[in-house]
Amino acid sequence: MSDNAHLQLDHVVKHFGGLTATNDLSFDVKHGESLGLIGPNGAGKTTIFNLIMGEYRQDSGDILYQNQSITKLPTHARILKGVTRTYQVPRPFSEMSVLENIQIGLMPNQLREMIFQGPDRQKEEEIARNVGLSEQDFNRPPTELSIGDLRKLELARALATNPSLMLLDEVFAGLTLAEIAQIAELINKKRQEGMTFIIISHDLRSLEPLIDRAIAMSFGSIVAQGTFSEVISDQHVQKTYLGDS
Amino acid sequence: MTNPTKKYLLLWAIFIAVMLLLPEFVSKGTLRTIIFANFLAIFAISWDVLSGRTGYISFGHPFLIGIGAYTSAILSYRFDMPIELSIPLAVLTTTIGGTLFFLPALRLKGSYFALVTLAFMELMYQLVQVIRPDLTGGTRGMSGIETITRGAVNNYYLSFALMVTIAISMWLLMRTRFGSALSAIGMNEESVRGSGLSTTKLKLAAFMTSAFIAGLGGAFYVHYLGSIAPRALFDINFLFTIIVSALIGGAATIIGPMFGALFLTILLEALRPILPGVERYLIYGSIALIVYMFKPQGLVVLVLDTLDKLRSIISSRS
Repeated sequence: MSDNAHLQLDHVVKHFGGLTATNDLSFDVKHGESLGLIGPNGAGKTTIFNLIMGEYRQDSGDILYQNQSITKLPTHARILKGVTRTYQVPRPFSEMSVLENIQIGLMPNQLREMIFQGPDRQKEEEIARNVGLSEQDFNRPPTELSIGDLRKLELARALATNPSLMLLDEVFAGLTLAEIAQIAELINKKRQEGMTFIIISHDLRSLEPLIDRAIAMSFGSIVAQGTFSEVISDQHVQKTYLGDS
Repeated sequence: MTNPTKKYLLLWAIFIAVMLLLPEFVSKGTLRTIIFANFLAIFAISWDVLSGRTGYISFGHPFLIGIGAYTSAILSYRFDMPIELSIPLAVLTTTIGGTLFFLPALRLKGSYFALVTLAFMELMYQLVQVIRPDLTGGTRGMSGIETITRGAVNNYYLSFALMVTIAISMWLLMRTRFGSALSAIGMNEESVRGSGLSTTKLKLAAFMTSAFIAGLGGAFYVHYLGSIAPRALFDINFLFTIIVSALIGGAATIIGPMFGALFLTILLEALRPILPGVERYLIYGSIALIVYMFKPQGLVVLVLDTLDKLRSIISSRS
């Protein structure tokens, strides 16, 4: 494993009863790199995100962030270190406005600051604009947003935590081509600024230009890794995606 | 200043003015009823800070109120401690003691949290009677406890001052980002954690604030009543009155539980001459049901909506 690794999974095993979700999994992502995670449903991709964020605890193995183990840290402490994620199904605060949702992401974890410092409205608006949310949506509740705008809000709340590593889970699902282009542009901009990404997507066409490297998974194990074209032309991957015929 | 803030400030001003002038217009009997409403409002606000915001429904608030009331009563009645000292000590004991008990429960979710807190209340009821009855007075409790002041008018102003101080402080506190974070927990706790906030720390802070108010209210209440008995405090009806006050008025608003407590107490008293028995509770249950069905946000929102409508009618005529 390289010293330049931003995040490293070291022989991570996670079982759910008799099901092996990740099977002795090891890989890393380097600083500023963008890694694509592909594989059929149930391959264990989202489980990896849950393990990295500390939402699940692995049965064995270690997860290192900037060469330090984060295995014992709770979720919020991992986020404070600079790793964040979005969810396949967006999870907004339904009775708050778009800006208030972003406000929660921007909030410091100190009670004193929460109480004695007001929200930074300008920063909230700046983040909302950055992800492509329009001004008339700022004071709307998330229940009135389209799925595309909900994904943008999810991205905005994640970006508000000031991450250096972002985990994006099916960020293009349910979006129009224009919306995909908008989010892809945002990801590319953040890549240029040096942000590290791990992206899960079934939309391989949209994923390809956004990643430096890909890992294909099946039943909790890595079946192929390399550049996007290497992985996609791998026999095992072809079989998993297209079947035996 | 935003429009809703103006509306709330107007409500505060009207409310305080009316309450200050009240002893001029109503009988001492009615004042005593409103003194109870003031205490009930304190307990409902205490419940609202934790449960109304975070969605962690506490069935154990009488337990917290009981710690405050019993501690101050025992210290002053048995050990002749001045009230000026026994009340702060009771508040401290409730905040720290209550937190120690509730801390493990805050890891539980939904109905499990509610059930464990209910168990605390029942446990306290049993324990108070068997452990050191020489201190607690056992089943019969204690009477002749020192009171802070005498007379309905003095007690009215005291209870109102305490209630309104707590209400305004909590209203201001809940308008900060801390209040927003607590509301966010009620909507989606995972997403709050996913925003880099320690929900354990937030829930603990909410709980300690809630326990502090419960202890303060409990201690003042016992020195108003001058007596205490386990069934008067650790009682399911008392618990439900607190929760219904908060919900009927409008949870997570602070003003709501306060209005809810007043509304409920006055309603029950107004019904007393017509329905002297427990049938009154049938009416109060029905009203609560109607409010939940048609205005689940509570009476405060109903009042604000009506004010809005009135204003639009007036402006359209002028």
